[in-house]
Amino acid sequence: MTTQPHENTLEIRQLNATLPNGMRLLRDVSLTLEPGEVRALVGESGAGKSMIGRAVLGILPSAVVHSSGDILLEGQSLNAMRPKTRRSIVAKMSALIPQDPLTALNPVRKIGPQITDPLVRIHRWSRDRALKRALELLERVHIRNPERVMNSYPHELSGGMRQRILIAAAFAPSPRLIVADEPTTALDVTVQKQILKLIRELQRETGTAVLFVTHDMGVVAKISQKVTVLFAGRVLEDAPTEAIFNDAAHLYTRGLIAATPTPNATAEPFRPVPQDLIAQLQRDTQAEDVRFYQGGRK
Amino acid sequence: MLLKNVLVRLITTAITLFGVAVVVFVLVRVAPGNPIAMMLPPGATPEDIANLSALYGFDKSIFEQFVIWLGGVLRGDFGTSITLRQPVAELVLGRLPATLELSTMALFIALGLGGTVAVIGARKRDTATEVGLDLTSGAVLSIPDFLWGLIFVLLFGVLWPILSISGRIDPRIEFDFTTNFYIFEGLIRGRFDVVMSTLSHMLMPAMSLALPLAAMIAQLLKQNLKEVLNQDYTTLARVRGFSETSVILREALRNAALPTLALVGVQFTFLIGGTVIVERLFAFEGLGNMAIDAVINRDLPLIQGIVLLFAALFTVINLLVDLSYTLLNPRLRHG
Repeated sequence: MTTQPHENTLEIRQLNATLPNGMRLLRDVSLTLEPGEVRALVGESGAGKSMIGRAVLGILPSAVVHSSGDILLEGQSLNAMRPKTRRSIVAKMSALIPQDPLTALNPVRKIGPQITDPLVRIHRWSRDRALKRALELLERVHIRNPERVMNSYPHELSGGMRQRILIAAAFAPSPRLIVADEPTTALDVTVQKQILKLIRELQRETGTAVLFVTHDMGVVAKISQKVTVLFAGRVLEDAPTEAIFNDAAHLYTRGLIAATPTPNATAEPFRPVPQDLIAQLQRDTQAEDVRFYQGGRK
Repeated sequence: MLLKNVLVRLITTAITLFGVAVVVFVLVRVAPGNPIAMMLPPGATPEDIANLSALYGFDKSIFEQFVIWLGGVLRGDFGTSITLRQPVAELVLGRLPATLELSTMALFIALGLGGTVAVIGARKRDTATEVGLDLTSGAVLSIPDFLWGLIFVLLFGVLWPILSISGRIDPRIEFDFTTNFYIFEGLIRGRFDVVMSTLSHMLMPAMSLALPLAAMIAQLLKQNLKEVLNQDYTTLARVRGFSETSVILREALRNAALPTLALVGVQFTFLIGGTVIVERLFAFEGLGNMAIDAVINRDLPLIQGIVLLFAALFTVINLLVDLSYTLLNPRLRHG
C-alpha cells in the first residue's frame, strides 16, 4: 500500500444514512481529517456522531440503509470496494477505542491474545513481534506488571485498566486512523482525565489521526484541533477548536459551550441549551426532510 | 474451599441417593403385582406362596425389608435378581457400559449436529436460511425419540438396509471381551471389525436419542449466539478485521455455550431416560432394556438396583456439567 503524505487520512463526502422507516440518521455529512489531526465530533444524543464513526469502520447496524455518499481512507474509496477487501483495508488502517471498557473485552478470553490476535492473524506479524509490541504498549499506558496482565481475564481488572488496555490494543498495529467513541463516558471522573491525557500523548507520539466522538465540550477543548458540531445528523458547524470556543458561528454551538459545567461553581449557574433554539433546529430539519423526499423521489 | 465444595457435594449426593432408594423401595412394594405370583405356576397352594415369600423375605414388613436391603447395599450387596438368579450388582454393572456408550455417542452427535446448525443459523441470521433451520429444528424437536427410532428402522433397516436394526454387535464376530465397553475395547485392541459392527448397531438408536436434543441445542445455542454477537467485544473483533465466521467461532461460541450447557446437562438426563424405550426398540442389550424386563417380571431387587444406578448416573452428569461450567467460565474459577 502506498501512502501519499499530502493526502487526507479520512475524507467523508456527502454521507447519508437512513433507516428503513425513512428516518435519516446522517444528512449529507462531509468532513476531512488530515494526518495527525484530532477532530472532535460533538452533538447531543442521537445527533449521529457515533454513526459517523461506525460508518467509517463498517459496523453500522444492519438495519441502516446507505443511501449515498462515500468514505475515503487515504484516498481509497471504501464504497468502491468489495466487502471483504473493505473489511481488510479498514482493519489494517484504522482502529476503534470503544465507549464501554467493561463490555468491550471478551470475558472468557485472556487479555494477551485479545491484543495480539489481530496483530498475528490480520496484520500477519510474527507471534514474537506481536507479543513484544503488546508488552511495550501496555507499559506505555502505565500498566504495571504487563506480563501478569496479559495472563489475566478482564474481570480481574478495573474499568480504567481495561480502557488503558483497549487504548494499547488500538495503537498496537500503528493505525493511520483511530475512532474514539466516547472513550471516557463510562469511566469515573478521576480516571477520565488520565485516559484523555494518555490518548492525547499517544496520538502525538504516533501521529495517528483521531476522530474523537464526544458530547463533552470540556473534552473537546482539551484534545482536538478541529470540531464538527452535529444536530440531527446534520453538520451545523465545522471549524478549528479555537474558533469554536472564541467565536462560534452557530447559536447552537454557543449554547453547547455555555451548557458545559465548569468546576468553579462560583462563576455562573448551569445553563442548558435554550429549548426554543432546539425547537427551531428541529423545525428546520423537518423542513429539509420534506425537501429531501420531494426532491429525491422525482 | 474446593475440599468443602467436594464434601458438600458428596453429602448431598448421598442424601439424594438415599431418598431415591426409599421411594423406589416403597413404590415397587405398594404397587400392584406380586413377584412371587409371577414365579409360581397356576394352581400353587397358599402354602407354596408363603414359603417362597419367606425365602425372598417378602413376608417381613416393608421397613424391615428396607433395613435388611440397605444393610446389604452398604456392604456392596444389592441383592439377587429374582428372575435371573444372579447378583444385581453384577447384572447392572454388566449392562452399564452398553448404555453409557450409547448415550455418550448420542450426546456427541447431538452436540456436533446441534452446534453446527446453531453456528450456521447465527452466521446466516436474519435470512431465509435461518428461518429454514428454525422450522426444521422445530419439526425435528416435535418428533419423540422412539418415533425417530421407527422412522430409522423403516429407512435404513427396511427400505435401504445398510444398518443393523437389532442387538449390539454382530453375533458372528468372535471376540473375547474383558470389559463391556465394545467400542472402547475394540479400539484399544485394534479390532476395527468389532468397532464397525458395534457402530453399525449403535448408529440408529444413538441418532434417535440425539435428534431431539440436537434440535434443542441448535435453537438455544443460536439464540445465545445472536445475543453475544451484539456485544461490544464482537463488534470490536469485526473492526479488527475478523470475518463473521471467525467472530462466531473465536469470540462468541464460548460465551454462548455457557447458558446452553445448563440445558444440555438437564436434557442429557432425559436422553438417558429415553434409552429405556429406544434400547427396547432396537433390542440393544443395555440397562434400559433390562429395566423393562425387570418391571414386567416384578423383579424387585433388579428394579431397585437399576433405578439406583440411574440416579447415581444423573448426579455424576450434574457434577460433570458443573465442572465444565467452571472450565468454560473463568469468572467462576476465582473467589
